[in-house]
Amino acid sequence: MLGLTTLAALPLGNMLFIIIAFLLLMLILKKVAYGPLTKILDERADKISSDIDGAESARQEAEQLASQRQSELAETRQNATKVVADAKASAQKQSDSLIAAATDRATSINQQAQTDAQKLKEDAISGAKDDVAALSVAIASKLMQKELSLNDQQALIDAYISDLETK
Amino acid sequence: MDDPTATFKFLGLTFDWTTIISTLLAMAIVVIVSVVLTRNLSVKPNKRQNVIEYLLDFTNGIVGGQLSKKQARQFGLFAFTLFFFVIVSNEMGLLLQIKLGDGVTYIKSPTANPIVTMTLAIMSLMVAHGMGVQELGFKGYIKNMFFTPYAWMLPLNIIEQLANFLTLSLRLFGNIFAGEMLLTLVANSLAWPGHFNGLWSVLSLPIEMVWQGFSLFIGAIQAYVFVILTGVFISQLSGNE
Repeated sequence: MLGLTTLAALPLGNMLFIIIAFLLLMLILKKVAYGPLTKILDERADKISSDIDGAESARQEAEQLASQRQSELAETRQNATKVVADAKASAQKQSDSLIAAATDRATSINQQAQTDAQKLKEDAISGAKDDVAALSVAIASKLMQKELSLNDQQALIDAYISDLETK
Repeated sequence: MDDPTATFKFLGLTFDWTTIISTLLAMAIVVIVSVVLTRNLSVKPNKRQNVIEYLLDFTNGIVGGQLSKKQARQFGLFAFTLFFFVIVSNEMGLLLQIKLGDGVTYIKSPTANPIVTMTLAIMSLMVAHGMGVQELGFKGYIKNMFFTPYAWMLPLNIIEQLANFLTLSLRLFGNIFAGEMLLTLVANSLAWPGHFNGLWSVLSLPIEMVWQGFSLFIGAIQAYVFVILTGVFISQLSGNE
């Protein structure tokens, strides 16, 4: 063991040696351990903080995208509703107009038919009148041929016919 | 306890073999351990890297808790080297003491030698004073060291600076020296020629083991305390009380 006597005898050389050795040790450790390790630790700290930043920005981006999707979805839904409503309305309108046109057409056909029928009826009646007149004349002439000479009875027949014609 | 020492002279200075060999051995262990632990460094650490990263985190934690970020960065390497070297030195003598035939203990804890601890304390204080000057400028540093908080406290402050040096060095020396001395005493009693008896050696083995464990603990604590006190001195001399 070193006592006080040696303390007085040999401090300086030992001290110098220890200081130089310690400085060398510091240099070696800096090269071997401290420098590389500090660099690695700094790198890791940087990486972690950049990872955290990246995660944060990615999260924000995702949130933004989600809200964008949401609004787009809502808009699309609204559009779809509108399209359906439009389609319904236009279909209704079309069907209404079709029905109206059909009704019009039916009414006009009906009227036409009525007028046609009326006309036919009148034609038939007037035709029948003529035929009846001719037939009457024929029948009458047949009946009267024997009793009336054509000449004697001419005036009577004329009056009769004109009477028929005015009716 | 004045054991014989082996010395040699070089350039008019006297060197002590025990100190030189022990210091070099402790430093060699430090270097080998760091080299082994820092192979294949990567951002994602492996097991070996975790060990040395834990050590570096530990010293950086001591330093970072007391100093500004800039000073902590400057002091980091010194604190790391100091802690690593002191803890290896403290524990080395507990595991290995080599005494040759001439009665000289060539290998033991370097920190069980007051010269070594004083040299370490001088280096620590030089770092602390240097960083104080750098932080406050020379005028501010002198004012902070001697005339704070009041100018009339100058004598007390001078004593404090001397006390700092002595407490820092002698605390480490005392703890490690006492630990080793007791260990040697217990071990010697085991193999004391003429006093050997079976019962005593059986009794002293557990005592030796217990004391060895306790000294390991003390060695680690003292290394921690040494670095923490260096940080405190830096902090004080840089004007943060």
